Amino acid sequence: MSVKEKDVANWQPKILGFACNWCSYAGADVCGVSRFQHPSTMRVVRVPCSGRVNPHFVLRAFQRGIDGVLVGG
Amino acid sequence: MKRIGVFLCWCGSNIGGVVDVPKVAEITRTFPGVAFVQENKYTCSEPGQAAMVQAIKEHKIDAVVVASCSPRMHLPTFQKAVQTAGLNPYMVEMANLREHCSWVHSAEPENATQKAVELVRKAVAKVAKLEPLFESYIPVTKRALVIGGGIAGIQTALDIADSGHQVVIVEKEATIGGRMAQLDKTFPTLDCGA
Amino acid sequence: MVAAAQHPNITLYTYSQVESVGGYIGNFEVTIRKNAKYVDYSKCTGCGMCETKCPTKKVTSEFDVGMGQRTAIYKPFAQAVPNKPVIDNKSCKKLIDGKCGVCEKVCPAGAINYEDQDELVTEKFGAIVMATGFDLIDWGKLYGEYGGGTIPDVIDGLQFERLVNAGGPTGGKIKRPSDHEVPQTVVFIKCVGSRDVLKGKSYCSRACCMYTAKHAHQVLEKVKGSDVYIFYMDVRTPGKMYDEFYMRTREVDGAKYIRGQVSKIFQDGNKVIVRGEDTLVGQSVEVVADMVVVETAMVPRPDAVQVAQTVGFSYDKDGWYTEAHPKLRPVETNTGGVFLSGCCQGPKDVPDSVAQASAAAVKVVAMFSKDQMATNPQIASVNEGTCVGCLLCKPICPYKAIEAKEITERVHGQSVTRTVASVNSGLCQGCGACTAECRSGSINLKGFTNLQLLAEVDAACL
Ligand SMILES: Cc1cc2nc3c(=O)[nH]c(=O)nc-3n(C[C@H](O)[C@H](O)[C@H](O)COP(=O)(O)OP(=O)(O)OC[C@H]3O[C@@H](n4cnc5c(N)ncnc54)[C@H](O)[C@@H]3O)c2cc1C
Ligand code: SF4
Ligand code: SF4
Ligand code: SF4
Repeated sequence: MSVKEKDVANWQPKILGFACNWCSYAGADVCGVSRFQHPSTMRVVRVPCSGRVNPHFVLRAFQRGIDGVLVGG
Repeated sequence: MKRIGVFLCWCGSNIGGVVDVPKVAEITRTFPGVAFVQENKYTCSEPGQAAMVQAIKEHKIDAVVVASCSPRMHLPTFQKAVQTAGLNPYMVEMANLREHCSWVHSAEPENATQKAVELVRKAVAKVAKLEPLFESYIPVTKRALVIGGGIAGIQTALDIADSGHQVVIVEKEATIGGRMAQLDKTFPTLDCGA
Repeated sequence: MVAAAQHPNITLYTYSQVESVGGYIGNFEVTIRKNAKYVDYSKCTGCGMCETKCPTKKVTSEFDVGMGQRTAIYKPFAQAVPNKPVIDNKSCKKLIDGKCGVCEKVCPAGAINYEDQDELVTEKFGAIVMATGFDLIDWGKLYGEYGGGTIPDVIDGLQFERLVNAGGPTGGKIKRPSDHEVPQTVVFIKCVGSRDVLKGKSYCSRACCMYTAKHAHQVLEKVKGSDVYIFYMDVRTPGKMYDEFYMRTREVDGAKYIRGQVSKIFQDGNKVIVRGEDTLVGQSVEVVADMVVVETAMVPRPDAVQVAQTVGFSYDKDGWYTEAHPKLRPVETNTGGVFLSGCCQGPKDVPDSVAQASAAAVKVVAMFSKDQMATNPQIASVNEGTCVGCLLCKPICPYKAIEAKEITERVHGQSVTRTVASVNSGLCQGCGACTAECRSGSINLKGFTNLQLLAEVDAACL
């Protein structure tokens, strides 16, 4: 199947984020409070600390077809 | 299987002005385990909470998703609310449709609505696996330590001491007083420093 | 100050530091180092005989910010609380090479003890309040164009305070450091090191606009016929009676405010020349001054970060202590049971410091109003059935909450003892680091279990 150039240009990676409740999740909240616009393709899972993120979670996300994983902490 | 109740908040126009909340509600009804969906103008307000409590009782809901603002803001509020309705306070999860969605994707309402649906689906999936948790209790040593004996440390110590508790001030210099003791007179009244 | 010393519920440990902090909210265990004072406070009457007779008289006084001198055995100032001296072991001759001992001879109370040692005490506390205050920025290093701290008659605000203070080295007479003459023309420069992203700090130090007006007023009141110039970027006076105070200094006392920055300060004979710009008239100005006061930025104490790490809570990029929420939880930290009072959280004046101090006290008292506290149930728990006792989780825990535990069970009719991990529910903060480390998936975090998070991952990836 050929990929149209337009699709390539519009393609946005779907990203799963793990965010520590105390820092990066709070940061994402501040980003919201300051109305900082960004692509709508990230979904954030709240964790109590980036240390909680088991590598299994990351592998599972890729298995399920995610394009990128971001661990913030 | 749990009976999950989902409460979708408009937050006035903060969420509702961007995200198509009725559409999110419609899709949410199809998620496995979801027994009840309700929209609210302000879920955190008194009438909003009352409506939630009533719905939990009426529809025999045993786990709750509140799709509104950041859990860092209102999770404790909703934990208390579900507790009034007789649920364990840890049977609630929030989907952050405001800070993480409507506020940051206000220029693309359709994508924001799509994301809102997914955030709710994610929260519902977690809630389906939640279990009640119970607090334990630890004793409190009623003695306070104040580190630094400047005007602030002294005031804190005096206030705690006046209410009948023991306070220790640890000061690194040979005297308490801090900067204030070095000042001559202080604005705006020009009375003395010490 | 005296009220705190006399309060039956307050114990003062002066000349002391916090060495280590263990435990958790409601149950901290704190080790305090009481530095050797070489004076037995239970005997000392505070008569001051030792200070009068001590032959080491030329030690630079920290309290007078270098404007005065003290002896080796000293009280920082006359009204010090407690009003008893300590011996500074870095300047006392007896302690350095054994060649003095005068204070021991003159002390009528027999309070001097050259053998005194640091003492460590460990005590339990339910709450900790940080009130370590602020320092002033080391402006000399940063502002070479202002003489870099080498011109004797260019001083900072705290040094000026000692000059006007009746208890200070000049008895409250404003005399400039170089030749002890009374300065007729004094220049104040505001925002030195504050609001300067290039060389200093980006923030406003909040108290200096007001205390500069105070300083100007003090010069004009004490030195009849004097001239005061103030270089400023803005005048910020929000506060009750604050703007009125500033306007009085300007209109009634006659301080001359020049809007603009100073580009150079240099010595010319016995004068200090200040060159700058008056941006309101768009002209460069030069003031021939007798003394210059730089009103410098507040910064955290030099050991602020280290203290925060010892106690265990967060601080910002400048080293100010971070409140749990900038609007809604201004006196709490993110660490349970640790609160903030005064300038350690950020620059403040006295009214704001005191207000915050009382707020912190209320938080502590509210905590103490209960005999017990509910703990967060979202903590780690071990599945003893599958835990193999490898204890990989133990060193990973930042709160030292995991211990080995022996359990005895019956296997095929025989009693077998084996080791498993065990979580202390008081210490566990629920970070979950252990769960990612466990190879057998035997330690889980309640409220954020593997199953729950995987369910979220799955749902998010659909
Ligand atoms: C030149 C100048 C003039 C001012 N004039 C005025 C004025 O006129 N009016 C006004 O309202 N405000 C004025 N201020 C501001 C005022 O000084 C502060 O608001 C106030 O002193 C803050 O009190 P604090 O207790 O928070 O800090 P500090 O006074 O700094 O006290 C902190 C104390 O903690 C101790 N400490 C520090 N680290 C440790 C440690 N690790 N262990 C144990 N102890 C420690 C210190 O030794 C000190 O005693 C002025 C400030 C300056 C610089
Ligand atoms: S002479 Fe002795 S009693 Fe008097 S102040 Fe000095 S140490 Fe204390
Ligand atoms: S309070 Fe005034 S002098 Fe101090 S930094 Fe802020 S603006 Fe500058
Ligand atoms: S959850 Fe964190 S604090 Fe608790 S035992 Fe595990 S590593 Fe330690």
